[in-house]
Amino acid sequence: MVENDSASKMHVDAPMLEWHDLTVAYGRRPVLWNVDFEIPKPCLFGIIGPNGAGKSTLLKASLDLVQRAGGSVRFWGQPLAQVRSRIAYVPQRETVDWDFPVTVMDVVRMGATSKLGWFQRGGKRERELALSSLDRVGLADCSNRQIGKLSGGQQQRVFLARALAREAEIYLLDEPMAGVDAGSQEQIFNILVNLRDQGKLIVAVHHDIRTAVEWFDAVALIDMRLVAAGPTAEILTPENLAMTYSGRLSVLDEIGEAVERGGRTS
Amino acid sequence: MIALIADSGITLWFDRVGPLHGWAIATAVAVSACCAVVGTLLVVRRMSLLGDAISHAVLPGLVVAVLLGAQPGGVGVLLGATVAAMSTIWFTRFLFRHAGLWEDASVGVAFTTLFAAGVLLITVSGSRVDLDPGCVLYGILELVPFDTVSLYGWDIPRAFVSALSVLVLVILGVWCTWRWQVFTAFDTDAAKAAGIPVGGVTCGLLVGVSLATVTGFVAVGAILVVAMLVVPAAAAERLVHRLHHAIWLAVLFAVVGAFGGYLLAWRYSTSAAGMMAVVLGVEYLVAILIAPDDGVAARLVSKVVYLWRVQCEDRLASLWRAEESRQLVQEGGFAGLVTSWLCVSGQLRKEKNVFVLTPQGRVHAELIVRSHRLWETWLGKHVDLPVDHLHPPAEWIEHHLGEQVRKRIEDELGNKDIDPHGSMIPKEKP
Amino acid sequence: MIHMTALAAFIPYNTLVVAAGVAAVGCAAGVIGTFGVLRKRALVGDAAAHATLVGVASALLLTGQRDLAILLVGGLISAMVAIAFLVLIRKFTRTRDDAAIAIVLSVSFGIGITFISGMVSRGIPGSGGLERFLLGHTASLTAHDATLLGAVSAISVLCVVVGLKEATMVAFDPDFATAAGWPAATIDFVLVALVAVMVVVGLPAAGAVLVTALVVIPPAVARQWTERIVPMLVIAGAVGLISALSGVMISSLAVQLPTGPIVVLVATSFLIFSVFLAPCRGIVWRTRSACVFPSDSYDGNDTGTTADTVTERKS
Repeated sequence: MVENDSASKMHVDAPMLEWHDLTVAYGRRPVLWNVDFEIPKPCLFGIIGPNGAGKSTLLKASLDLVQRAGGSVRFWGQPLAQVRSRIAYVPQRETVDWDFPVTVMDVVRMGATSKLGWFQRGGKRERELALSSLDRVGLADCSNRQIGKLSGGQQQRVFLARALAREAEIYLLDEPMAGVDAGSQEQIFNILVNLRDQGKLIVAVHHDIRTAVEWFDAVALIDMRLVAAGPTAEILTPENLAMTYSGRLSVLDEIGEAVERGGRTS
Repeated sequence: MIALIADSGITLWFDRVGPLHGWAIATAVAVSACCAVVGTLLVVRRMSLLGDAISHAVLPGLVVAVLLGAQPGGVGVLLGATVAAMSTIWFTRFLFRHAGLWEDASVGVAFTTLFAAGVLLITVSGSRVDLDPGCVLYGILELVPFDTVSLYGWDIPRAFVSALSVLVLVILGVWCTWRWQVFTAFDTDAAKAAGIPVGGVTCGLLVGVSLATVTGFVAVGAILVVAMLVVPAAAAERLVHRLHHAIWLAVLFAVVGAFGGYLLAWRYSTSAAGMMAVVLGVEYLVAILIAPDDGVAARLVSKVVYLWRVQCEDRLASLWRAEESRQLVQEGGFAGLVTSWLCVSGQLRKEKNVFVLTPQGRVHAELIVRSHRLWETWLGKHVDLPVDHLHPPAEWIEHHLGEQVRKRIEDELGNKDIDPHGSMIPKEKP
Repeated sequence: MIHMTALAAFIPYNTLVVAAGVAAVGCAAGVIGTFGVLRKRALVGDAAAHATLVGVASALLLTGQRDLAILLVGGLISAMVAIAFLVLIRKFTRTRDDAAIAIVLSVSFGIGITFISGMVSRGIPGSGGLERFLLGHTASLTAHDATLLGAVSAISVLCVVVGLKEATMVAFDPDFATAAGWPAATIDFVLVALVAVMVVVGLPAAGAVLVTALVVIPPAVARQWTERIVPMLVIAGAVGLISALSGVMISSLAVQLPTGPIVVLVATSFLIFSVFLAPCRGIVWRTRSACVFPSDSYDGNDTGTTADTVTERKS
């Protein structure tokens, strides 16, 4: 009995999202080395780093979309499989075929029905949930448009609405502001702030340091490994930024290549 | 001199095999060599499916040409086929641009339509066109020796003459435009920027493909000509890296395929065209198995060697650590496979029922432990990890650090002697 | 009932049943082909189609039965093996995808031809009839065969209808589906397997070489007319049905004609018609600029990223 109590206590106190010594490899080649960090409470959390640094890989590995080579990811102290229904993912816009014959409403409904069982189409409740999600992102009047006919900012908001329709507590977004004009970015940011104020955790991969300083409560600097993580003001220092952006640690590249070969470096 | 030997050799061979089979094989060889040359360029430029499309699409061109009075195997037919091929390309582009059809679907639609039109034309025009729809799919190689033309007093099959002429034409064409072809194949945009007429080069290549496929038609039919275009090239590029080597190798594979396929088909009383495709398929399979760098066998061997090395090195390192902490290794006299190998290679020796490191083994073990502890220290500095998390990644990476990288890590860490656990980092032995 | 018997007076019962069965095949092929085309797998179906010959010939060789059901099961097995080869080639070699499809397509067809030709030259009974699987020949179908084809088609369509939500979700965004806990890879595999089933079932109607048209052209037609998935499935089904039906009807009138080419040409004429005349996407409409095409529609207050991404396809 005592063990049970301490187990549930652990869950109550457990951080919302925890990366534990996470290493990810594409094929045999490591692309992300030993990321170890935790996010205890709801906040707006940014993942910042140069191109190809493994930021998207970090998100994908957290969701089991790519295989881990080592380490683990825990949500509220539990593995992903047990808490999937409380997590929503917003992938990069370019991964989707925008010529696909679905409307805005269809896409958001996919989010609402994604929690239902096999072969269950959903009914009134899902439709209303979808409508309210669309309303929250300001796209209620576009619901019958085919998704290819939207602007970049609108497409991003559709994806966001789809995630909102899952009524999740943790939102993982991959480059939500990429290819979106400044006005729409503000709009999206406000939606995310709202979510955070409602007690949700938002983790977003982001590419622009200037806006990161303004927007995020805490950040992680990633360049194939975790350079630093913590509250934004403390972490986004010139030294840390220099370490992240000044060019790949070539040692990691060489060792990665050696691992892929199965041999030694020079 | 060589010509004389070749000539007598060929005559001998013809006598043995019989003129019918001899000419059929010769035609097949010429056709397949031709297809291999253009096919390599197609494959490298990711245009294999266009080759597929053209091979289907030449049928209506062929039929229309024959209906208009051209001789099968003659120039008119080649022209008709080329026109049909160009129409397919145009049709594919049209569907892609204006119907908004996805790229692979447009190719599929274009060539099935043209092929269907061709088959229908043949069936409807009946005896006026001397082609059977079935044969269109697998060729009439066996009948090739019977349709001859008179050349300088010799009776040579028409199909062989056209195949040989196309072969010569194609080789000349590729040779003359070689630099342009290579550049365009590597990087089309850069070639365009460099002023190379990329559109013309591609057009020329596709004309070559049309000519090759229409001669291949007679030999092996529409679909198996695709095998001749793509398979030898795909096999060759697994094995060599330079484009002109790939073309030579592809031609070799193609010729072997044609020869071997025909002889096997003869032996087993089955379709020559089908058997040729089978032999080519086998060649491809062998190529992907034995390819030196990324072949299946090579990768398997590399993986096994790696795992074995890891086991051996782990063994050595654990013995060294036991020595360091002055613990007696409690072990029976039984030697596992790894231990036996280490004894044989002189890194371990047996001393009173216990295995002990030899000096050579000790040096090797120290390198492993040095790599391990250096990596722990490096991780501790650059990556925000608690101390008790450092061991597992180091267990992995210790097998991959070479001498220069170790030196660089050591320099960067400022020649530290102690790792985060407080153990000594062994020095590099000269 | 009266007009049914009147119809039966003109057209033999056998032909009616065959027509119904083949029409069902055409419809199902159009519906399932829609997902194949949306997943950009049009040509995988083609490779599978060429591979069916090996299985059909082997089934005849091994069992000695000429029953269509057995032959088609053989065809399905070899089609799945071909797809497996494509996956293996992609996973374990650096051969490019388009070359892989061409290799599997042509070599498997070659193996099939070798088998058939070898069986014919050894006089194995029934091997002569295998030729009809090359280009399709519905005139040789029995009512029993057609009922089987119809049943399989109906079941396949039922699978898609029941699992529409899952299929659409995975076809549109497999990453999102996986993240949400759905077995996207398995669902994807089922969709591919259904395409293979359709390709096999379509063999009597169009033959191995041309059956891919039944699976690719109807969805292409449908896409010209609608932007939503359910209407697209319906239209694709209808176009497939009419094309297959035309093939059967014309084939029964002129028995020496192979059915495949007729089916393909009917379907393509639908496509050409649609490309020119469909509202909004059709060329005639666009030149009159009566409608908004994806490349020129976006909300005024944005930088038109959509325009860039869509129009770059056209260049």
